Amino acid sequence: MFHWLEKNPFFFAVGVFLVIAFAGIITILPNFAESSRPVVGLKPYTVLELAGKEVYKKDACIACHSQMIRPFKAETDRYGQYSLSGEYAYDRPFLWGSKRTGPDLHRIGNYRTTDWHENHMWEPIDVVPGSIMPAYKHQFTNLADIETAYAEAVTVKNVFATPYGDEFQATKAAWEAHKPKVLADAKAIAADMKNQDVKDAVAAGNIPEVVAIIAYMNRLK
Amino acid sequence: MQSNAALEYDYSVAKLFTYATILFGFLAMLIGTLIAAQLAFPELNYLIGEYGTFSRLRPVHTNTAIFGFTVGGVFATFYYVGQRVLKVSMAESKFLMFIGKLHFWIWFFGALFATITLLMGYSQSKEYAQYEWPADVAIVILWVLWGISIFGLIGIRREKVLYISMWYYIATFLGIAMLYIFNNMAVPTYFASGGLGSIMHSVSMYSGANDAMVQWWYGHNAVAFGFTVPIVGMIYYFLPKESGQAIYSYKLSLLSFWGLMFLYLWAGAHHLLYSPVPDWVQTMASVFSIVLILPSWGSAINMLLTMKGEWNQLTENPLIKFMVLASTFYMLSTLEGPIQAIKSVNAIAHFTDWIPGHVHDGVLGWVTFMIMASLFHMAPRMFKREIYSRKLIEVQFWLQTTAVVLYFTSMWIAGITQGMMWRAVDEYGNLMYSFIDTVTVLHPYYAIRTLSGVLYFVGFVIFAYNMIKTMSSSRELTEEPQFKSPMA
Amino acid sequence: MNALMIKGLLFAAVLIGATIFVVKSMNIDLSDPINMITIIGAIAIAALTVGVSTKYINQMKSDTASGELVDTNWDGIGEYTNELPSGWAYSWLGTAIWAMWYMISGYPINAFSQIGQYNEEVIAYNTKFQEIHANPDAATLTQMGESIFLVQCAPCHGSTGDGLSGKAHDFTNRMSKTQLLDVIKNGSNQLGYPMGAMPPMMAQGADAEAIATYIAGGMQGEQPASYGACASCHGADGKGMAGMSPDLTVFDETLVSNVIKNGKKGVLGTMPAYHDRMTPVQMKALAAYIATLKG
Ligand code: HEC
Ligand code: HEC
Ligand code: HEC
Ligand code: HEM
Ligand code: HEM
Ligand SMILES: [Ca+2]
Ligand SMILES: [Ca+2]
Ligand SMILES: [Cu+2]
Repeated sequence: MFHWLEKNPFFFAVGVFLVIAFAGIITILPNFAESSRPVVGLKPYTVLELAGKEVYKKDACIACHSQMIRPFKAETDRYGQYSLSGEYAYDRPFLWGSKRTGPDLHRIGNYRTTDWHENHMWEPIDVVPGSIMPAYKHQFTNLADIETAYAEAVTVKNVFATPYGDEFQATKAAWEAHKPKVLADAKAIAADMKNQDVKDAVAAGNIPEVVAIIAYMNRLK
Repeated sequence: MQSNAALEYDYSVAKLFTYATILFGFLAMLIGTLIAAQLAFPELNYLIGEYGTFSRLRPVHTNTAIFGFTVGGVFATFYYVGQRVLKVSMAESKFLMFIGKLHFWIWFFGALFATITLLMGYSQSKEYAQYEWPADVAIVILWVLWGISIFGLIGIRREKVLYISMWYYIATFLGIAMLYIFNNMAVPTYFASGGLGSIMHSVSMYSGANDAMVQWWYGHNAVAFGFTVPIVGMIYYFLPKESGQAIYSYKLSLLSFWGLMFLYLWAGAHHLLYSPVPDWVQTMASVFSIVLILPSWGSAINMLLTMKGEWNQLTENPLIKFMVLASTFYMLSTLEGPIQAIKSVNAIAHFTDWIPGHVHDGVLGWVTFMIMASLFHMAPRMFKREIYSRKLIEVQFWLQTTAVVLYFTSMWIAGITQGMMWRAVDEYGNLMYSFIDTVTVLHPYYAIRTLSGVLYFVGFVIFAYNMIKTMSSSRELTEEPQFKSPMA
Repeated sequence: MNALMIKGLLFAAVLIGATIFVVKSMNIDLSDPINMITIIGAIAIAALTVGVSTKYINQMKSDTASGELVDTNWDGIGEYTNELPSGWAYSWLGTAIWAMWYMISGYPINAFSQIGQYNEEVIAYNTKFQEIHANPDAATLTQMGESIFLVQCAPCHGSTGDGLSGKAHDFTNRMSKTQLLDVIKNGSNQLGYPMGAMPPMMAQGADAEAIATYIAGGMQGEQPASYGACASCHGADGKGMAGMSPDLTVFDETLVSNVIKNGKKGVLGTMPAYHDRMTPVQMKALAAYIATLKG
């Protein structure tokens, strides 16, 4: 029947490639433009929030947490309004996750606050007895990489036209000029925190990872 | 047609991959057992500081298992099977020998490098594509090298008709190449921002829902072309070869192959059911997933029918036992997957432990069983020694079979319970359980899974020991065994 | 059927039985369609895998290999030209036809909307619980409140409502001294009472200390003279003058629903505002439950 193909490896390979290639095109392309349109009023992440998102990626919170609320009554009761594609328009990568060892976090900013996160990231079982989430004490001393976060903002602005302001430029000077803004955001978070070392670090111009991740958590609404 | 005996195959590359596959398998399962234990006993998160938390180690587990162990096993068997079914020796081409070795070393150091970067926290956070762009580049290079090996060997082959296993190796090569490149497309921020920040960091080419679509088009098919297609290729060679039986039906293998190729790529969105990707894409993925049962089962049935009348081999040869059981676990996961792809079932199953349960039916019962059986079959031929101990294989078989059963039964119950608890409402219509209730209830199942991990890991250590002994100190063979692998 | 298949199906039955047992012990309603379909799916997985695989494994015992070989032979491996197993071939055909029918005419792929399905689910929910939510009696309210509290509030206030050693408000006591001193010093303007804001610095030093001790003690015993500064708004009895300002003695419905609606930032930390994420009856229920916590 097909023996001819099996004697002609070139055509065999072309055949395989054709058979596997077109499904992707047919399923991904038709809604591509529509799916990348932001919902009205969506703002790009601030640099501090982006730095927090980096911490989220670095410590792989996605291993246990989703950020995608499905349209079921039980989920909207637990986590809030179901998720819409336009809400993720500035998420590169998307962080929907595939496992809920812990709860969904897509709207965590609506129902947890800075001081709660501070307690929780330091020692989850002190806040939620029985929790199996690891404590992330190292985030209280490791410093967030805000320069890389700024580089990301500039990149998505220049390459993907994400609406960042004119002050976002691909130069060291622009970064130095923007840095105080990031520090101010960090100070606002640190003001609601209790850990003295963190407060001191921020006052001295350093931003511990935990401040960045809390900024990111509070942003998720 | 030339006679078989005249050819002396060269296994130097296959041997290198064999050693490394065992090493990566050891690491992957050690870490797998550790992360399983961490979910049952969270204190274990702090063994090695920030590098020891569950979340840092989980991607290390999956990537070592996939890009180290599984892919290594695929390469090892390819450099063995490829020569034999094409009737051409690597020794015949200095060029291919060089490419093969380069392929090995780039893969080996690439996989080590990538593991270390993940531990350090460099991650794209896209499942099974976590490696940041420098490691991605290394992967693309080694993949091209593998392609040169495949088509180079085919180019100088003596056997004109490609054997079934070769179809699957070619498909693996093409499938992963296409998927990997598109899903990992990213812009390194260092270069796009005039030299600011970390050189390792990148942003995905796609955003939000589109990124999700591309990721699961990749993710599902990384499973397809990593855990299924090449492993089917392996069983099509090693089962008939070890048993001396002819393949039951050529037609069945043909229809299963092309059916699988055609259907697999449509099914990716079953990872995105009830997410904000378009409804029609989801429906299509569900429907295609159901149809996918048939080409999947086709190969498994073909293998079981190949053993028709050979009950005595099944009871006497532990390698046959591994492979027949692997076929049935393959049937289990390729029925379980499609049923989990039904929207109403997925409403419960998605996000729960039932999914890792499904995963490990496949990876432990099918992928790992096949890789170990294949390496066992290759060892006496590559090292010209009989397998060190049959008894150890038997012990290993029972340990690991028990382990798989414990793994999937515990996660099956855990996942279904958890999924239903999340949905449950009390008599007044309010949520019945707080999230933490649905966590603490899982403790016994997590503990059982840990036990299963220990058993499976011990089995793997026995395998590794048996292999090392076979390589180094087992009785030497004067002649290559035709079918059944000799063992002491 | 032979021994192997029976053993296999027995194993499948035990697995399903255990699953149902565990789920039932968590009070899950299996007549819920989603739950039911899942269980049926699980049964199908276990039964079909065991049934079909043991059918073929049994052929290893009873059957013998036969057929015509293709011309080629690869490294000693032959291939028979046997026909397709008919059960497999018909299932293939059947599922392919089913798939076409499903996507084109049965449930056309452009016709389904998961948001539509959600809206229907919400309507069905509202109908089902309408009555209970319309006229709950006191006991019902308290029970409702408890279950809402355990899901929504316990992560901060603890499952007993004790505020987890000062991390959030402790409901077993109306107010702690620390909180009182803080409000006296800084005032408060966030809860949305008709009286509006409470000014800062109404009392200082020893006076503040005395007031705080008095109120934290449940307003028992002798009232310190300095409390007069508070009485003008909260009343001499601390009852908040019929809802004009917070009642300092109990957790009443006004206080609880005001806090839920507006959130509260205090010396212990910040409680998020629930805006419209909590229905009026749920707030009532929470108030009823919280009132029972004060020991
Ligand atoms: C081992 C799994 C695991 C990992 C890894 C993990 N978490 Fe969690 N997380 C949980 C569990 C379980 C809960 C629920 C119990 C609790 O609140 O502690 C939780 C709860 C949370 C909550 C509270 C959500 C709510 O609705 O109450 C937040 C916020 C959170 N985690 C953030 C994170 C962040 C940020 C990271 C990564 C730095 C992370 N988690 C890593 C398991 C994990
Ligand atoms: C001008 C009127 C006024 C005076 C005087 C006043 N309060 Fe208040 N008080 C209020 C109002 C209004 C609120 C609610 C504030 C809000 O919306 O945040 C309040 C809130 C409070 C609260 C917080 C209640 C809670 O449960 O969170 C406390 C405690 C309190 N007052 C105690 C005092 C004490 C003690 C004094 C005297 C030293 C005092 N108040 C004097 C009007 C007043
Ligand atoms: C993210 C944490 C958090 C959650 C969730 C939360 N609370 Fe609070 N709540 C707090 C904190 C912190 C305070 C104390 C603020 C202070 O006084 O410093 C508080 C205070 C309160 C108070 C104020 C008591 C008073 O007299 O001022 C009430 C009432 C209350 N919570 C009820 C609830 C209810 C009901 C829920 C659930 C529907 C809830 N809370 C959920 C953190 C939380
Ligand atoms: C017909 C074949 C299969 C189908 C239709 C299928 C379907 C599915 C479905 C529906 C999910 C769950 C998605 C979710 O809700 O999160 C899933 C997850 C998964 N399956 Fe399969 N499956 C099949 C075979 C296999 C096999 C044979 C393996 C491995 C050997 C495998 C490995 C995985 C993995 C690794 C995941 C987890 C993906 C993640 O990280 O979320 N699958 N599969
Ligand atoms: C000793 C054996 C093993 C144990 C104990 C083990 C344990 C685990 C655990 C605990 C998880 C995380 C599940 C979760 O987050 O809830 C996991 C995930 C995973 N493991 Fe393993 N594992 C083992 C072997 C393997 C092998 C050999 C492979 C592949 C060949 C593998 C592939 C995977 C994959 C793909 C995932 C991700 C699943 C998902 O995201 O849904 N594992 N494993
Ligand atoms: Ca996953
Ligand atoms: Ca990557
Ligand atoms: Cu899939």
